[in-house]
Amino acid sequence: MTPQTATSTRVTDVVIRLVGESGEGTVTLGDIAVQMLTMMGLDIYVFQTFPAEIKGGTVMYQIRTRSGTILSHGDACDILVALNDEGFDLFGGGMREDGILLYNSDVFTPTPQPGRTEYALPITTLARAEKDAVRHDVEPEILKRLPAPVNTVGLGALLRLVNAPLEPAEQYLRDTFGRKGEAVVRMNISALHSGAKHVAEQIGNKRTPQVFPREREEKVLIVNGNQMLCMGAIAAGMRFYAGYPITPASEIMEFLAKELPAFGGDVVQAEDEISALGMCLGAGFAGKKALTASSGPGISLMVEQINLAGQAEIPVVIADIQRGGASTGMPTKTSQGDLNLAVYGVHNESPRVVLAASSVEDCFWTTIEAFNLAEAYQCPVILLSDQALATRKSTIPPPDLSKVEVVNRLLPTEEELGDSYMRYRDTETGVSPMSLPGMRGGRYVSTGIEHDETGDPGYTPELAMQMKRKRFRKMETLLRERGDAMVRVWGDPGEVEVGIIAFGSTEGVIREATERARAEGYKVGHLHLRMLSPLPVDPINAFAARCKRILVPELNFTGQLAGWLRVHTDIRFTPFHKDEGIPFIPNEIYQQITHLAGK
Amino acid sequence: MTATSTQYSPRDYKSDLKPIWCAGCGDFGVLNALYKAMSMCGLKPEDTVVVSGIGCSSRLPGFVETYGYHGVHGRTLPAATGIKAARPELNVIAVGGDGDGYSIGAGHLPHCARRNPDITYLIMNNNTYGLTKGQISPTSMVPLASISPKVDPKRWKTTPYGMTEEAINPIAQAIAWDVSFVARGFSYKPNQLADILAAAISHRGFALVDAFSPCPTFNQDQNDDYYKDHTYDVPEDHDPTDRVKAFELALRTDGYPIGIIYRRDNKPSMLEEQAFLRRRFENNPGTMEKLFAKYQG
Repeated sequence: MTPQTATSTRVTDVVIRLVGESGEGTVTLGDIAVQMLTMMGLDIYVFQTFPAEIKGGTVMYQIRTRSGTILSHGDACDILVALNDEGFDLFGGGMREDGILLYNSDVFTPTPQPGRTEYALPITTLARAEKDAVRHDVEPEILKRLPAPVNTVGLGALLRLVNAPLEPAEQYLRDTFGRKGEAVVRMNISALHSGAKHVAEQIGNKRTPQVFPREREEKVLIVNGNQMLCMGAIAAGMRFYAGYPITPASEIMEFLAKELPAFGGDVVQAEDEISALGMCLGAGFAGKKALTASSGPGISLMVEQINLAGQAEIPVVIADIQRGGASTGMPTKTSQGDLNLAVYGVHNESPRVVLAASSVEDCFWTTIEAFNLAEAYQCPVILLSDQALATRKSTIPPPDLSKVEVVNRLLPTEEELGDSYMRYRDTETGVSPMSLPGMRGGRYVSTGIEHDETGDPGYTPELAMQMKRKRFRKMETLLRERGDAMVRVWGDPGEVEVGIIAFGSTEGVIREATERARAEGYKVGHLHLRMLSPLPVDPINAFAARCKRILVPELNFTGQLAGWLRVHTDIRFTPFHKDEGIPFIPNEIYQQITHLAGK
Repeated sequence: MTATSTQYSPRDYKSDLKPIWCAGCGDFGVLNALYKAMSMCGLKPEDTVVVSGIGCSSRLPGFVETYGYHGVHGRTLPAATGIKAARPELNVIAVGGDGDGYSIGAGHLPHCARRNPDITYLIMNNNTYGLTKGQISPTSMVPLASISPKVDPKRWKTTPYGMTEEAINPIAQAIAWDVSFVARGFSYKPNQLADILAAAISHRGFALVDAFSPCPTFNQDQNDDYYKDHTYDVPEDHDPTDRVKAFELALRTDGYPIGIIYRRDNKPSMLEEQAFLRRRFENNPGTMEKLFAKYQG
């Protein structure tokens, strides 16, 4: 049953922001709320931003929910759940003026503001009362470790606030706490109702939004970018992972350590990132599809061997989950600041592919693409993601596995093996059949030293040019064979007032801003780059030709995509870049569009 | 180790590429000992990978008629571990110099010891950097600056007035890390070195063989005569499975014992543990559908 009040307004799109002390359950509350909303048939999109500390500091967990595709975490929040005053001070500014504030009145009382609707919730007091009520019914061993049900009180309050039914939550609590005995279940269900009742008593004539449950026909997954990256890797046939812990990439190693053995694969926690990539290159040389993942500082340590992979032509995938700031910077914040590192991070020159995943679902498909390109062109592939995308939890349809295409490297035929076999044969495409240890007649030395077609060292000027041409020809082949598929085009066809060129995790927010502007009559186009290197220049130029003005938004300080476009194209554009550690919101892109269109 | 009944002579492991080493380089002796050891173990050339980093000695894979991997400086062990982990049936022999293994790549040694993959690591120790032409290495024995003003400034390029740090003792270090097979050889005793290498290759686990391999071009101090005078065979009654005794032997200051100094045959290996993990799921193998189900909303 959905409770109704005279003042509830039906809403189709709600942004709920939870803020609180890190390590105190804010994320848990968010995760449960996400489950409940998903069970109601709604879609969700979560943006999380953390302090770097394990305990302490303020965490922000923003849920946007609606029925249907969600492209970004939204602009201002409709509902702010402030579990402490520090969170309120830090993130309260991102609230709508007519928003709803649910605050922990045990901890602080905010100054009232005209237009804002406020609900006080003495969350700790209510939770303690619930625990006290069952104190004598719980086994002493369990009681010792039983926290007061603070999150459950918060959940009840939040669900009531959006006029959501409590039954699914009751079922969830039964399932979650059943093992701890009937009294603990009773405590939690009572806490749920206590939170709900406390809000209900204050509603009176206050405005509340009402989210509507719906029957969902299709299955959905609740997943984040890191998880989909891992699943994409497994689907692509990756069976060897080596890595070194680093925020925000560690989750990848943790996921794979748990899941990969069941697929017959291995995970090694290496002593450093240099060793991690070294092992992956060894595995890649020996015939396995290998993955390592890190963030900027770790990728920096890998640079020397990325070049070895290019020079020795070893397939490998390196995921860079970008994080904020240089050096230690802001490890728990987001950025697109490693584009230069990905495309330029090399001594001398060697071919490499750089891809960027753009959404949680796309993490799956782009990771598969990364392995396919590494295998097809026998080169390192750097796959860019970032903290916001890695921890972005979304509801997505389960990927259609019948659409998964897996490419494996070109092996020599029986006839090609033997005395005349040449590992680095200079071919029309640049791709040479790659023998694997164990193949008779396929012997060669995989090497970073300049070499002839057999792999033997050689330094003559002619050879140096021939082999460099051969290796870089693979990138020309890639562009010829797949270049057009390496961009996605959104928005108006034909001539547009404003065209946007961007890459990576900003795709959704740009699409949303574009749609908003188009709904108001602006003609707007959007080209999103899936591949940054080699840069698909032809589709970029074709797109640019139909744009009156071009905007290049990105999340870094100096405008790295802007610089990369200037190197490879003659197009003129307006750069828009910032590196605050948080993603764009739709409104700031929208403002840029209307501003440029008005020029 | 994959051995076969087919007999391979040392010559069968020799590639067409001619070694680039200087005349009189100790590495020739080591290479010949390696050919012989591979022959003694009957290694199938196509099932064998010789892995190296950077340095004079790291050019060795090119001279062996097996698969080879000639990577970047110091990263020999990670690559060798990755190859062995990916294809446990392959014979993996890592080779390189003292600079590659004990300086830039030293950080990998204790971890390779922990993982104990079934690979052999042959270090050609010439107590100097040869390829970059005569700088000190972690095993260099140039006198310290404070005690010897008589160092020839022309010979030692980065330490013209003597060294400012002591050499390491790689054998004692390896025993401390519990490398599961630790031995020392000498390139001027190639038959003995071949026996040691064959034992190392046959050892199940990570085997380190440090072979003195003098550099006649950049280090005339630790030349073949020096080592002939300063080495002796490991005493016949030495029990290499006794770690404390092995330490004592490694720490002796009256010369360098040649032979097998330490071995531990029952040390767990990362690869076997991983295989165990994979087997755990054999009756319930992973599928994408099962993975998706774990995250269903």
